[in-house]
Amino acid sequence: MVSVTIDGHEIQVPEGTNVLEAAKKAGITIPHYCYHPALSVVGQCRVCMVEIDGAPKLATACSTQVRDGMNISTNSERATEARQAVLEFLLANHPLDCPVCDQAGECYLQDYAFDFGLDTTHMVEEKRTYPERERRMLGPHVIQNQNRCIHCTRCIRFTREISETHDLTMKARGNHQYIDTFNGEPYDNPWSACAADVCPVGALTVKEFRFRARVWRLEETRSICPGCSIGCNIMIGHRNGVVYRFMPRENAEINGWWMCDHGRFLAEDLNARDIDRPLIRSGGQLAPATWSDALEELARIIGAGTDARVIASANLSNEALYLAKKLFAEKLGLKMLVPVETGPGRSIKNAHKEWIRSEDPHPNATGARLIGLNVGDASRLQDFLITSSGPVVILDAGAHPLLASQDIIQAIKNQPIVAMANAHTPMTRAADLVFPVASWLEAEGTYTSSTGRVQLAERGAHPSDEAKAAWDILTLMARALGADPGPVTRPQQIFEELAAEVPAFAGMTYRRLSNEPGVPVLEEVAHVG
Amino acid sequence: MSIAHTQPLTMTPPEMLRDVHFDGEMEKKISALLRRYPTKQAALLPVLWLCQERWGWLPASVLQAVAKRLELSPAFVEGVTTFYTMYNTQPTGKYLVQVCTTLSCQLCGASGLTAHLKERLGIDSGETTPDGRFTLLGVQCLGACGEGPVVQINNDYYTNVTVEMLDQILDELPE
Amino acid sequence: MEPILLRAEHETNSKALTTSLKLGGYSALKKALIMNPEDIREEVKKSGLRGRGGAGFPTGVKWGFVPQDLPKPKYLICNADESEPGTFKDRKLIHTDPHMLIEGIIISSYAINAHTAYIYIRGEFYEEVQILEQAIAEAYKKHYLGKNILKTGYDLDVYVHRGAGAYICGEETALMESIEGKRGQPRLKPPFPAVVGLFGCPTVINNVETLACVPHIIERGADWFASIGRPRNTGPKLFCVSGHVNRPGVYELPLSVTYREIIEKHCGGVRDGKKLKGFIPGGSSAPVLPASAIDIKADFDSVAEAGSMFGSGALIVLDETTDMVWLLENLLTFYTHESCGQCTPCREGGNWALEIVRRIRRGYGRPEDLETLERISQFASRGMTLCPLGDAFCGPITGVLTHFRGEFEQAIAKAKPLPKKKLPALPVRSGRGTFGM
Ligand SMILES: Cc1cc2nc3c(=O)[nH]c(=O)nc-3n(C[C@H](O)[C@H](O)[C@H](O)COP(=O)(O)O)c2cc1C
Ligand code: SF4
Ligand code: SF4
Ligand code: FES
Ligand code: FES
Repeated sequence: MVSVTIDGHEIQVPEGTNVLEAAKKAGITIPHYCYHPALSVVGQCRVCMVEIDGAPKLATACSTQVRDGMNISTNSERATEARQAVLEFLLANHPLDCPVCDQAGECYLQDYAFDFGLDTTHMVEEKRTYPERERRMLGPHVIQNQNRCIHCTRCIRFTREISETHDLTMKARGNHQYIDTFNGEPYDNPWSACAADVCPVGALTVKEFRFRARVWRLEETRSICPGCSIGCNIMIGHRNGVVYRFMPRENAEINGWWMCDHGRFLAEDLNARDIDRPLIRSGGQLAPATWSDALEELARIIGAGTDARVIASANLSNEALYLAKKLFAEKLGLKMLVPVETGPGRSIKNAHKEWIRSEDPHPNATGARLIGLNVGDASRLQDFLITSSGPVVILDAGAHPLLASQDIIQAIKNQPIVAMANAHTPMTRAADLVFPVASWLEAEGTYTSSTGRVQLAERGAHPSDEAKAAWDILTLMARALGADPGPVTRPQQIFEELAAEVPAFAGMTYRRLSNEPGVPVLEEVAHVG
Repeated sequence: MSIAHTQPLTMTPPEMLRDVHFDGEMEKKISALLRRYPTKQAALLPVLWLCQERWGWLPASVLQAVAKRLELSPAFVEGVTTFYTMYNTQPTGKYLVQVCTTLSCQLCGASGLTAHLKERLGIDSGETTPDGRFTLLGVQCLGACGEGPVVQINNDYYTNVTVEMLDQILDELPE
Repeated sequence: MEPILLRAEHETNSKALTTSLKLGGYSALKKALIMNPEDIREEVKKSGLRGRGGAGFPTGVKWGFVPQDLPKPKYLICNADESEPGTFKDRKLIHTDPHMLIEGIIISSYAINAHTAYIYIRGEFYEEVQILEQAIAEAYKKHYLGKNILKTGYDLDVYVHRGAGAYICGEETALMESIEGKRGQPRLKPPFPAVVGLFGCPTVINNVETLACVPHIIERGADWFASIGRPRNTGPKLFCVSGHVNRPGVYELPLSVTYREIIEKHCGGVRDGKKLKGFIPGGSSAPVLPASAIDIKADFDSVAEAGSMFGSGALIVLDETTDMVWLLENLLTFYTHESCGQCTPCREGGNWALEIVRRIRRGYGRPEDLETLERISQFASRGMTLCPLGDAFCGPITGVLTHFRGEFEQAIAKAKPLPKKKLPALPVRSGRGTFGM
């Protein structure tokens, strides 16, 4: 540890820390563009100038490591003037088209110019433009407006150091250099949109989000990506119950600052709801019903003694899975299976530059195993379904692709089918009873990642219309079937019980989970799965 | 007395460069270059030179082949290529006439040369005559300022150039 | 002064090894290879030799920074990028006596325990590449290069690495990037090249002329070398004179002669009998000095005292007809064309300054322009940028605004008001590799 003074605050930081990070620790923001904690330090933008006692020249905070006893000023007259000048240089050629720029509201140029810049500019010259690169698709997801680029090279370094796809480069040089791909080919890699995330201005933006909402109007909810078992931390941007985007949320242990395009663009799927109240089949048609009718119907279908089977889902939270096990398997004695599949390989790099890879497309198969549920692949699912003639309860119509296959539906069409879903699938259309379940945004819950970290996804909106969270529905179902769930009011309460019961989760609380980057399950237990 | 001493460049047409391979002779030269450096990447500039000498210019297909040979990403190779002004990613004329536009040569009248060339060739800086014979380019200091004005045609320097000399050179250059 | 670096200037076939040997070439090498490397470093330090590439850093001191105990290869680089406008001495040296340079490279490599040396030469110098390759081949044949040089057990390989059109590659770290096969973008310092240089290894980089001085120091001793010039500014120097003089060219003179002597005596005075208006003393990035400064000494310290920079020793002479607004436009065009583009102040500030000067030249100057130019030069130099190219384009600005401000004020006083519609943007200046963009 070394001790440094920044603007009069004395702080202790580890040796090797740069001045910019040290200042951050002291609560002082030093503006920066080319610096990004995940990327190599290049010291190119020159906006992070600070004055260091005893040094004849100003220094760039990003590339200067602290030394014991260093006395740094971020707000001396010299440092302030220098930063103002650099910002003025940057704005000299910037189009200042903020009203039509998607980055507005989260643009570092806008913010820093406001916080640290001058209020006038001396520039009367015509601005540099790149006529062929003003608005063009750089790839399937990323739009380029080179006029806005401040040449910080973050996007290039992202493709070299993080995605390792090496597909972006700077072409030409000097004042006319620009970002491009080889031979102008589409910029397409599994993490392509992250280049837009690291772009501090509106030079690279994400097509799927373009002009859909002004960022300052969005509410943000801390969540977990539903796309696979890696469990990248995300921020869901939404408004009035409509989901606009997923953005990666920093988590050093799992996803660093990144997420893959597959996960990111699942955001739109969250809006695809077409089941918003219970449905009961009558006269060959699914018709809306009240919750009490639906629960009565459930009790009728799964009367005592029927050989009902429950298909749970590795997409459900630890809380829902725990309840399912406790109420359906243990109290009611029903057979239960969690079907899993092998998905396309996904990978993400954490903040330690380690790749995390997974072919498990479910956000919580690890949780299901740790809770002690019966987990099986497609063939086990098939056997499980066709070896009985009793009712089938499907806790998540999207739990496994086989559940959408016509062969399976044909095979079980004479058995009563109960399903939970928020959007129709071939299976829900064949069902006799459908419960409307809350979307990913609408329910709180924890998920256990492929690397054994338990992570909390918060709730950002109330379930729409008549929908309810899975844990809530499971409680109601159990009660209707005569198994007393006890007073279950919140997922947090279920989690407390789970943590007390299941050793892998021992010592975890929602409070810890929301403050830590996911709490690892106990090492020895983790390997049992 | 003849003063022109420059041989024409040959530009391989793009359709013959769709699929680029290094033949045995090129391979031999590349291997020799690789022995000079501890990394493959370091051979990039010399290999690009080799390719430009071989094919006259450096289309994307050549850059791709170079990238593959040196185990670099094609984007990286293109980024490097376009940083340097002497690598031609477009074909040029047989004679690349480069007039120094920097101070010392200008003090000695180089702007007159440019004006004369523009008029004589009917093209602007950066353009090629329709017959593909000349490409005209204003360039920065060529490092021979004491003998200004300096004109470089392909690899050759012409110094203390006057309008009359320039006319003579252009007339004498072989087909 | 007897010619030292240019001793072969008037020889026929001066490039040949036989000529070099006849004039004493490689005799210093034989002497050096039986010396202790440390003693060579000491001798060079004692000679007071300062780098001829621009910065004037004491060469022996630089060599001393190489951590000899680091178990990594060490490299020597000869900087033959020669791209600062006004400079053409390295080309002259290569044409006159390539073996003197090679001998200097061998001795210097030996002094720092390097076994590989690269000569980085600008891409335009095609002929000079051939000359060097030829000379190197001769030297290998004679066992001045290669394994077990002159049976002393010392090994050295020398390779020529040709640039491809980028002034910035003269900057030492950009040059290393360029050898490594990258865009020629200067590196952050520290670490300094002496410790982390080429391929991450300790590296010494010296200018052609600097290295060519080394054999003479070994041959004739540090004291002899230090007796030329004056203290702290020792040795012979190749002065490149261009512009408005009767006899431009490369002149070998002791450091600390006066500019008057160079211009009037050696170069035959200002061309066409015109009056001297001013001169640029150290390559085009050095601030211009007025005619009244003609009696200062041509060396590192005197020129610095006069508010300019001795740089590479390139003298550009300007007669009374020179339009200083035009001159500034010309030089800013050069530097913006050559900015590598990494740093905001250099990339944006340089171009902005250029646009202002162009506007003034087109008759649309505004009174506040000079202040803006000064502001730009204040914030694009002295550590505001990664490498000194920022300072390099600010030098001309401060020079003309200090000594010839009146010309700008006059241009502005006569200016028309800015048209309502913005002036059309100037066409994109492109390099060759990137026609049109
Ligand atoms: C923008 C820029 C361009 C330079 N160009 C050259 C050059 O063309 N030749 C050269 O020898 N040094 C050049 N230098 C200086 C080198 O960085 C370096 O200081 C020099 O090669 C060291 O050699 P010396 O100590 O022998 O002078 C340049 C420096 C800068 C900042
Ligand atoms: S596109 Fe964005 S991230 Fe990339 S260099 Fe430009 S400003 Fe930086
Ligand atoms: S000062 Fe200019 S040339 Fe030097 S590193 Fe910065 S941008 Fe490049
Ligand atoms: S953030 Fe420090 S130079 Fe860019
Ligand atoms: S100015 Fe033309 S060669 Fe240097």
